[in-house]
Amino acid sequence: MIVAKRKPVNEIAEMLAPFKKVTVIGCRSCVAICLAGGEKEVKMLVSTLKVKNKKEGRRQEFQGFVVERQCEREWIKEVEEKVLDSEVTLSMACSLGAQTIGDMYPEHLTFPGLNTGIFGVPEEQGVWSEKCVGCGNCIIHTTGGICPISRCAKSMLNGPCGGSADRKCEVNLEVECAWAAIYDRLKIQNRLDLIEKVMPAKDWSTGHSGGRRVYTREDAKLTPHQKKGREVVQ
Amino acid sequence: MAEHMPRIVCFCCEKHGIDAAVLAARSGKQYDASVRIVTVPCSGRVDGIHLLQALDDGADAVFVVGCLEKNCYYDTGSIEGRKRVNYVKSMLSEAGIEKERVEMFNTASTNAWAFPEAVSKMVEVVRRLGPIGKGGEQQ
Amino acid sequence: MKAAIQVVLCKCCTEMPALLDMAMLEKIASETPMVMSVKTVDAICDGKNLSEIIREVKEREIDRAVVLACQKKDISPALFKAYTRAGINEFMIELVDIRDQVVLPHQDDRAQAQAKAEAKLEAALARVVMLAPLVRSVEEMKTRNVVIVGAGFAGMAAAQAAAKTGAHTILLESSGKTVKAPGVILTHSKVLGAKGYGGNFQLSIKAGEKVEELGAAAVVIASGGGWTKLKGPLAKACKEAVPLYELYLSIKSGNQIKGPVIVVDTPDPAGKTLRVQDYAWDESLETVIDLKRRSPETLIYVVFQEMRAFGLSELAYKDAAELGVKFIRYDKAGAPRIDPNLPGVLTVKDFSQGEKLSIKFGTLAFASIPANPDNMTIADALRIPMTAEGGIRRGSVQRGPVSTPRPGVYVCGSAMFPKPREVAQAEGQAAGAMAGEYVMKGSIEFGGSVAQVTAEKCSACLTCVRTCPYEAPFIGTASKAEIKTQLCQGCGMCVGICPSKAIELHHYTDDQIAEETRVLLGGDL
Repeated sequence: MIVAKRKPVNEIAEMLAPFKKVTVIGCRSCVAICLAGGEKEVKMLVSTLKVKNKKEGRRQEFQGFVVERQCEREWIKEVEEKVLDSEVTLSMACSLGAQTIGDMYPEHLTFPGLNTGIFGVPEEQGVWSEKCVGCGNCIIHTTGGICPISRCAKSMLNGPCGGSADRKCEVNLEVECAWAAIYDRLKIQNRLDLIEKVMPAKDWSTGHSGGRRVYTREDAKLTPHQKKGREVVQ
Repeated sequence: MAEHMPRIVCFCCEKHGIDAAVLAARSGKQYDASVRIVTVPCSGRVDGIHLLQALDDGADAVFVVGCLEKNCYYDTGSIEGRKRVNYVKSMLSEAGIEKERVEMFNTASTNAWAFPEAVSKMVEVVRRLGPIGKGGEQQ
Repeated sequence: MKAAIQVVLCKCCTEMPALLDMAMLEKIASETPMVMSVKTVDAICDGKNLSEIIREVKEREIDRAVVLACQKKDISPALFKAYTRAGINEFMIELVDIRDQVVLPHQDDRAQAQAKAEAKLEAALARVVMLAPLVRSVEEMKTRNVVIVGAGFAGMAAAQAAAKTGAHTILLESSGKTVKAPGVILTHSKVLGAKGYGGNFQLSIKAGEKVEELGAAAVVIASGGGWTKLKGPLAKACKEAVPLYELYLSIKSGNQIKGPVIVVDTPDPAGKTLRVQDYAWDESLETVIDLKRRSPETLIYVVFQEMRAFGLSELAYKDAAELGVKFIRYDKAGAPRIDPNLPGVLTVKDFSQGEKLSIKFGTLAFASIPANPDNMTIADALRIPMTAEGGIRRGSVQRGPVSTPRPGVYVCGSAMFPKPREVAQAEGQAAGAMAGEYVMKGSIEFGGSVAQVTAEKCSACLTCVRTCPYEAPFIGTASKAEIKTQLCQGCGMCVGICPSKAIELHHYTDDQIAEETRVLLGGDL
């Protein structure tokens, strides 16, 4: 899932310093699960900022709450009043949530409280490791189920590189060489022939290098006839 | 400047924590009256929210007392308690607030000295650092 | 919010009024909204004013009480029993330990003590208004079965003890050996899986070739250790080395033991983790003494790192030495070795003398009972923790030396970590007695101050499931977390850690704690 991390409190405090009335909005989805922006983190951040204000003699009013999924307009609409009843909204969701609020209320200031992040897998409670960079063209069926784009520092398709030693990545010695892992995996799957197959240069146009991507399901889109109210005209 | 009366809250677990506090009292130990105890079933029940809210509600310092980590009545409760305290410390540090204001202590119920020692440590912290709102009165 | 509060102030004979202004406390109490009755008594434990207290409870339809006194365990239960009879739920009584928290530790600071006592009274009043009656539930146990996994020393002792309580014992023994013990004995049997909780387990067991369901009210794990082989370079050089217990049995059956005999204290003397267990000394000493007595001409060497025989077994050390057993101490630097080209000779550096010794031997035995490999299946099935060495981990020692974190599941003997026989038997007896007592209660009580999930708030992040030592939280059919009340111990760890604040602990909710804290601090802001 999307894994994000709260910005350091002093950075957030600096962002919010010029404003007197702040609404802090968290999310119950990904950021709650990765312990960055759920209700608990929202409450803790608000308390910390209040204590900091007490220390520095600053007056600021806070309200904090969460929505189910901050990247969906319907859920933001439900709390519109609370959003707009402030000088600035601090989003404790991933950037998608922060931008959704921003897009819905362009004249209103919405700031990001978290740094997003990675597509991460919980390796154990409290540890999330990146295993996908969203290249848009998944080839892990050829690499025993292990993604070399995300897990190899050089995103090699025909690894390992010459620097790989003792199963460690030369770029980051704490990381296992992805291709060592791929080799082992293919071995136990009896598919080592794939190691010898040369993968052609990657078409990165499906990845972010090609610019912003949009995924569509034509059959799910609402026809003008189906859209309701203001959506029809907009 | 009139000496500030410390206001300190202690979240004390109902097992070894409170027993240690009671043993201290019944052994005749005296400690600073600025500490007020809130009992919780286990130090693992303590949420970072409670610690920070206590500071916001006027506490100059907060501490948690739980069982020794290898002897927690609820197995891993005081380990959890310590993790919560450490996380709050890191948030306070980032915010420029002295992390000594929040502390975790572990004790056995048979230790009559542990609670008064914890109290005097925290009172010392407040004496040294003063109240959070340096201006004196809360806003 | 409607409430009718009674406040009882105990003078604790003279202790309270000596330091505190009781009149002021009475005043604060009576001026607090919804306080309908304020009673000051000399000593609750005395029971003198009980009828008066209860009369007012009935007259003023009191539904909750704040009692300023001492600790619950020290107050006579009479007041609480009377409250219960008068219809006040046990969770609606807020007991404030003024004596230990205010009066005793602040004898020199009257003003501060008074301020603190007043704050504690006000906080208790604020909290009691937020309390809700809670009911504990009772569930009947469907069987009186105590299932004992393993019929070794510990298991047999457990069966005897459990049977004495009247419980029905069922022994599951993985081998085919003959077992004489009370109850049902199933050989070639193992535990495969378990559902349910203490009082009402449904075990899935393998009995011979068949897989069967077996109901159990309690489970005693006495799966013990297993035999093992020598480890490391020693193993390659000496293939005929025997585990100590095999040597012991061999001696007992009267077999001729080929001398000289060397007994090593661990199967892995050169290993990285030189964990020698208590078992090693007692059993080694007993074995070598027995052998030396039967055949005094056999040379016997005990090669060890430390000699730490239990208590009076130290005398065995003396006896063995007097009988002529030779003791050779080593440390890691001079650990015993066997040159594969020269099998039958053990070399070791004597730590005390510094000399390198070469000992010809006919029999090499090593003390060891490592964890039973079945323990992993058992731990998985019953969802209990394991030790790093592969044994079953005890729960908090305060719950007893043979308990696991799961109510109704006990562990004894070498299943925990290697033990001498007598200790294993003693633990088996303890576990059997505890299991039997538990089972003969006939029902389990649960609920009250337990955790509860509000499904709409749950993010299904699995944090609570992973954190709870008691396996109480689980992801239910709605794909949201739920708490199995029968397993919840009321510690609140899951509540404190839930990132979406979806779990509350009854009687210690976030709001209750926050309000109490706020009022205690003087409630400004």
